[in-house]
Amino acid sequence: MRSLTLHLKVLITVLVVLGIAITAYQIFALGIPVTEDETDDLWNIDAKVEFVASAKDPVKVQMFVPPLNRDYVSLNESFISNNYGVSVNRADGNRKVTWSARRASGNQTLYYRLVLTKRYSTEKAKIKGPTFRDSLAVEGPEKIAAEALMAPIRQHSADVETFVSETIKRVNNANDDNAKLLLAGDNSPLKKAQVIDLLLSIAHVPLEKVHTIRLVADTPQSPELWLRSFNGNDWLYFNPETGEQGLPSDRLLWWTGDDNLITVDGGKKATVTFSMNNSEMNAIRLAKLTDENTDADFLEYSLYGLPLQTQQTFMIMVMIPIGVLVILVLRNLIGIQTLGTFTPVLIALAFRETQLGFGIILFTVITALGLSLRSYLEHLKLQMLPRLSVVLTFVVVLIAAISLFSHKLGLERGLSVALFPMVILTMTIERLSITWEERGGGHAMKVAVGTLFAASIAHLLMTVPEAVYFVFTFPAVLLILVGFMLAMGRYRGYRLTELVRFKAFLKKADA
Amino acid sequence: MFGLIKTWKALEARGIMGINRRNADYVLKYNKRHLYPIVDDKIITKERALAAGIHVPEMYGIIETEKQIEKLDEIIGGRSDFVIKPAQGAGGDGILVIADRFEDRYRTVSGKIISHEEIEHQISSILTGLYSLGGHRDRALIEYRVTPDQIFKSISYEGVPDIRIIVLMGYPVMAMLRLPTRQSGGKANLHQGAIGVGVDLATGLTLRGTWLNKIISKHPDTTNAVDGVQLPNWDGFMKLAASCYELCGLGYIGVDMVLDQDKGPLILELNARPGLNIQIANDCGLTQRTHAIEAHLEMLAKEGRSEDAEQRVKVSQGLFGHVHPQ
Repeated sequence: MRSLTLHLKVLITVLVVLGIAITAYQIFALGIPVTEDETDDLWNIDAKVEFVASAKDPVKVQMFVPPLNRDYVSLNESFISNNYGVSVNRADGNRKVTWSARRASGNQTLYYRLVLTKRYSTEKAKIKGPTFRDSLAVEGPEKIAAEALMAPIRQHSADVETFVSETIKRVNNANDDNAKLLLAGDNSPLKKAQVIDLLLSIAHVPLEKVHTIRLVADTPQSPELWLRSFNGNDWLYFNPETGEQGLPSDRLLWWTGDDNLITVDGGKKATVTFSMNNSEMNAIRLAKLTDENTDADFLEYSLYGLPLQTQQTFMIMVMIPIGVLVILVLRNLIGIQTLGTFTPVLIALAFRETQLGFGIILFTVITALGLSLRSYLEHLKLQMLPRLSVVLTFVVVLIAAISLFSHKLGLERGLSVALFPMVILTMTIERLSITWEERGGGHAMKVAVGTLFAASIAHLLMTVPEAVYFVFTFPAVLLILVGFMLAMGRYRGYRLTELVRFKAFLKKADA
Repeated sequence: MFGLIKTWKALEARGIMGINRRNADYVLKYNKRHLYPIVDDKIITKERALAAGIHVPEMYGIIETEKQIEKLDEIIGGRSDFVIKPAQGAGGDGILVIADRFEDRYRTVSGKIISHEEIEHQISSILTGLYSLGGHRDRALIEYRVTPDQIFKSISYEGVPDIRIIVLMGYPVMAMLRLPTRQSGGKANLHQGAIGVGVDLATGLTLRGTWLNKIISKHPDTTNAVDGVQLPNWDGFMKLAASCYELCGLGYIGVDMVLDQDKGPLILELNARPGLNIQIANDCGLTQRTHAIEAHLEMLAKEGRSEDAEQRVKVSQGLFGHVHPQ
């Protein structure tokens, strides 16, 4: 007996530890969200390219598209273009789409559509970048002005980061004559970036122009220029106008370098307009979608790998142990009497179709009518099987009648009955009537109410969406449940109702 | 909440056994599943008992198929009183007790007149498994009708009072006299409203009783005191109960016996899951007593010997007998 107890304890411990470990691994290592409410933004970006094609020449349009190698991952990318050949190629960390056509004329419209989201895994790719470069050639007054600017910048900075931001600050200082000279009256961000680039090149600090798009819904925009410098570990991003450091999280890097966004051969008046909107999506579905586009295959062996139809069935199935657990607790800890062991769980499943309130009414009505039929059949002295068959048929007819009746009344709810398991109802009626005869009406009522109560509790718990999601996503939780059930198997304390039942002992002791 | 914890503690202190403990520590531990048919089927119990020389009510016949129902008259013969029982019935359901017959009519013990057809339908219901555990096909058993000893006349309402003794590994642990009441319809089952009266294991003197989970000392129908009654042939009952362990091999059983006017103590049936109300009837918890027996068994195992039924009765009477009413 003792060895059995030890055996059981070990088994319970193993199961619970395994269950917790797997679940923890899923949550912390794989980063699967704990609740369904965790949603991720899904961005839908449209770049509309318009230009006028000249009738004679072949058309070749080249446009940068996001390289998507850092924080974002694309779920879907499409190039919408009639009669144009499309090719995408990578160069210097940029991606470029090339649309080409032998013959085109008039106004042309091409679309580039990208659906993307933040990258799911936290893993960071190793980043490489230049740390040194040669100075740009500069002559005459510019050279003097640049050197004059460099001296205080050097003085006020300690490393690459402070050096760059100090430079940006100086160039943006409208009262600085040296800066004015270098800008030559052009205050556009592009010119400023050029000046900053020049100054930094003198100090051999590498700098790259970065063109970004803001992920903001429904506002027209054009690419925004940022500067970035590599400090040996990571890219440092700077706003060329404010010196602000760090790329805001809503910027999407579109391309880097000095080239224009779009180049059109054989056409003119090229414009690109961006429009974007975002939608939210359940995080796990998103993860499933990105799964195909990334190397994160942790969902491969989860229940999400099943076809959708099967998934829905499993969502119900994985909750059955929860319902059973409810019955276990109600019967062995509380001491509520129910009809049969798992009948309440089956009734709880039936409640899924009918909703709770309506289900209880339906159950009560059909059982009451069935019981009266059963007591009438009792007079006919029939054998058990024929009698059961009659009751079952009666239940079917009754359900059909209720469906028809409620349909005529316009209550669509009544139609859900069709799936209310008739066999369960028949067996319930039969058992209840036997209980009635053997133990009396009071006991039968008690059992019926106990069954309905247990079924309702089980139903309510089995349909909590958070719980369904949790158990479905982390099926290892079921191992913990099994551990608890095993422990219950050797529970020998009192049931709650026994405390009432044996009260007679205590009254006597008090007297 | 606090009150419940207090109740829990108090019950625990008194050694009251709950259903979970009974199932986990006794029924599951001592009763092997494959032996259940012996106690679940009254016909097998009877055959075993006869083979072991233990007294049971005489069996007149068995009806196994619908066809055999025709033979009912042949089985009954010239007898005017008999009992029809489902072999695998539970809780005394489906039992028909015929007290008298005249021509084609029968009178049940409660005075109801029924026809031959109705008896045949009852047997047919039994055969289809209406009263059997789990609804399996069953057999009907026709046997001797017990006439209760006159001693019970004053403290019983109709029906046959029976004596239930809980036996752990052959050692009687607790005993109870079950008295039918008007409410129980002549049946001796506590959950149907019968009275349970505790019995001192050593002397056979009745203690106070329980009725519907309350402690009582008078029969609600006859208003006679139920305590202080000396049961005759008590040691015979004890020995009978103790020997049932060898009969069925189950370690934790409730033995139901009756005292027949002419034939003395008879075994009615055995129960592999005896109820817990016996504790209220005896105003005493089962756990302490079963622990005492288990300790005794451990000691015997250490000494490498075992005891026969008579010795076991002595041990039990020494351990649990001579309870002084509080």
